[in-house]
Amino acid sequence: MTEPVQNGDQRSPVLQVVSLHAGYDKLIVLSGVDLELSRGEWLALLGPNASGKTTLLHCIAGMLVPSAGSISICGCSLRQDALGAKGQLGFGCAPERLPGLLTGRQCLEVYAAAKGLGTPDAGVLELAEAFAFTAMLDRFVGSYSLGTRQKLAVLLALLGEPALVVLDEAFNGLDPASALVLKRHLRERVTAGRCGVLLATHALDVVERYSDRAVLLLEGRIARQWGREQLAALRAMPGEGLEAALAAASAPSQSQ
Amino acid sequence: MEVPQASSLPTGIPRRLARRPYVAAALLQWRNTYQLRRARVLTVAALALTLLVGLLAAPPTGPMLEWLAGNPVITFALSAGLFGLSAVRRQARIQADAVSSWLSALPATSSSLLRLASRTAAQFLAAAVFVGLAAAVGRMTAPAASRLVLITAIGTVAGTLGGLRLVGRSATGSPGWHYAGVRRARRNWASAPSLAPLSYWPLAKGRFFGRPKMTSRVVLLVLLSIPAGLHDVPGQVAIAVAAGCMTLVTLLALSAAAVATAGQAARWLAPTPIRSWTFVSAFVWRVALKQAAVLTVVILLACAVGYSQVLRTGVKAAVAFLAASCFTAAAACLWAAHQTGLGAARRGFERRKT
Repeated sequence: MTEPVQNGDQRSPVLQVVSLHAGYDKLIVLSGVDLELSRGEWLALLGPNASGKTTLLHCIAGMLVPSAGSISICGCSLRQDALGAKGQLGFGCAPERLPGLLTGRQCLEVYAAAKGLGTPDAGVLELAEAFAFTAMLDRFVGSYSLGTRQKLAVLLALLGEPALVVLDEAFNGLDPASALVLKRHLRERVTAGRCGVLLATHALDVVERYSDRAVLLLEGRIARQWGREQLAALRAMPGEGLEAALAAASAPSQSQ
Repeated sequence: MEVPQASSLPTGIPRRLARRPYVAAALLQWRNTYQLRRARVLTVAALALTLLVGLLAAPPTGPMLEWLAGNPVITFALSAGLFGLSAVRRQARIQADAVSSWLSALPATSSSLLRLASRTAAQFLAAAVFVGLAAAVGRMTAPAASRLVLITAIGTVAGTLGGLRLVGRSATGSPGWHYAGVRRARRNWASAPSLAPLSYWPLAKGRFFGRPKMTSRVVLLVLLSIPAGLHDVPGQVAIAVAAGCMTLVTLLALSAAAVATAGQAARWLAPTPIRSWTFVSAFVWRVALKQAAVLTVVILLACAVGYSQVLRTGVKAAVAFLAASCFTAAAACLWAAHQTGLGAARRGFERRKT
């Protein structure tokens, strides 16, 4: 893994989540989550099912209004300046939410237009080519497989050079070659200091090999954090590494 | 399998719609639908046109429109109620979209007012065109047509504004899950599984369709159309009509639920070797049983309060309704089974005797 480029924006946080509480009706999902992510950093969000990962990402994407706490993207408060904050955000929507009656190209164009671009940017089209997705661009999304939809969701998230890329289980359904392309592409963007990546995932190899930090979400709270050195140490450990550390950290919660 | 291609579609988003992704996506989907399913769209349009001509040619249309033009209060109440309902439903859908749409995270407005207004305007325009055509072909006088359009316009504005306020006050879209009863797992389900729980699916959906919020709206509309106290219509008749209406909504909701969920259930069970008719019977019987129970209670209550002459007619009507409902639900299940291949797998499926 290469060291991140040290530029002026490097230390400025692209995401600040302070004391976030959120839920659905009476169900409390997140209680007091604090998170910070800088440009040039890849943060992995780990946690068992129903621990609140997707809820946290939906709050960051402005799809769910938190009951308390604040979220800022590149200094813009999501509550006070939602459009400004969302302008810096690239969110990978759930593949099943993509519209079946639009083509991949039309989806890209709608997103590009909404982000103020004339056409989809060249970097994203290059990634589409690397994904072997170009041939699918003029087909209807309704005819796509899960993996192909996932590719489109990722491409949409990366349009317009967002400062913060938020992805939820982005490797689900991707074939190994495309998954590798995506990992390398994200790593390149992060290393060049072009963005910060927040990825909710269960794929521990991605966390060990590509992430700079990892946080474990348990029952709506951040239970544990691993820094770059700790992840490197876990990677170097023979045997289970992060998997064992994760199981140990989750054990008290699972047994309750 | 043929993969739909759309390479011939023109691309590019008009500049005016660039910052309105919801509107742009909707327009593109409409255009794609027309290009992809042109024959189907044209058939629907032709059917709509035939219906319009049939309505214009029907003898009661003219007097009915004249009557509506002559009774501004009722016309206003009807149009305000209908457009209010439409606004409530549309706004609820727009609010749900803001949470779950693929466009939610974009730095753009949801164009909710434009989306709402365009639908309402289209509905009003359709009504106005119908009245205008009726006047043009001589089914009603021109002054009556203008009066009717004007009253409807006022009702449209009032209803839409009222509907928006109703949505503003209440919580956003009620999730449907709490209409499904939580059932206790039975001991022998693991060792002797049966299709019995399948029958609760349309029942829960029916409860959702006929939930108080929906039923009250329908009853309100019906009650508004009864000029109680004005033309010798006693209050108890209005109450009876409301009760009958609620019962009818419950019964129709159950039938609609069976039809609406049949496809999902068939898709879910398609990989299993269940026969089509087993699926139909397992899916429909509890709905039929509940409808029969509701109808029996209604007939017995009607007899108990002195409408003994209702018994024979009521039983006949109930049997006819049940037969129609069962037939519709069974047809929907069979169609869904045919579409998904449920039951077809069994023909090529050889059971191993162990």
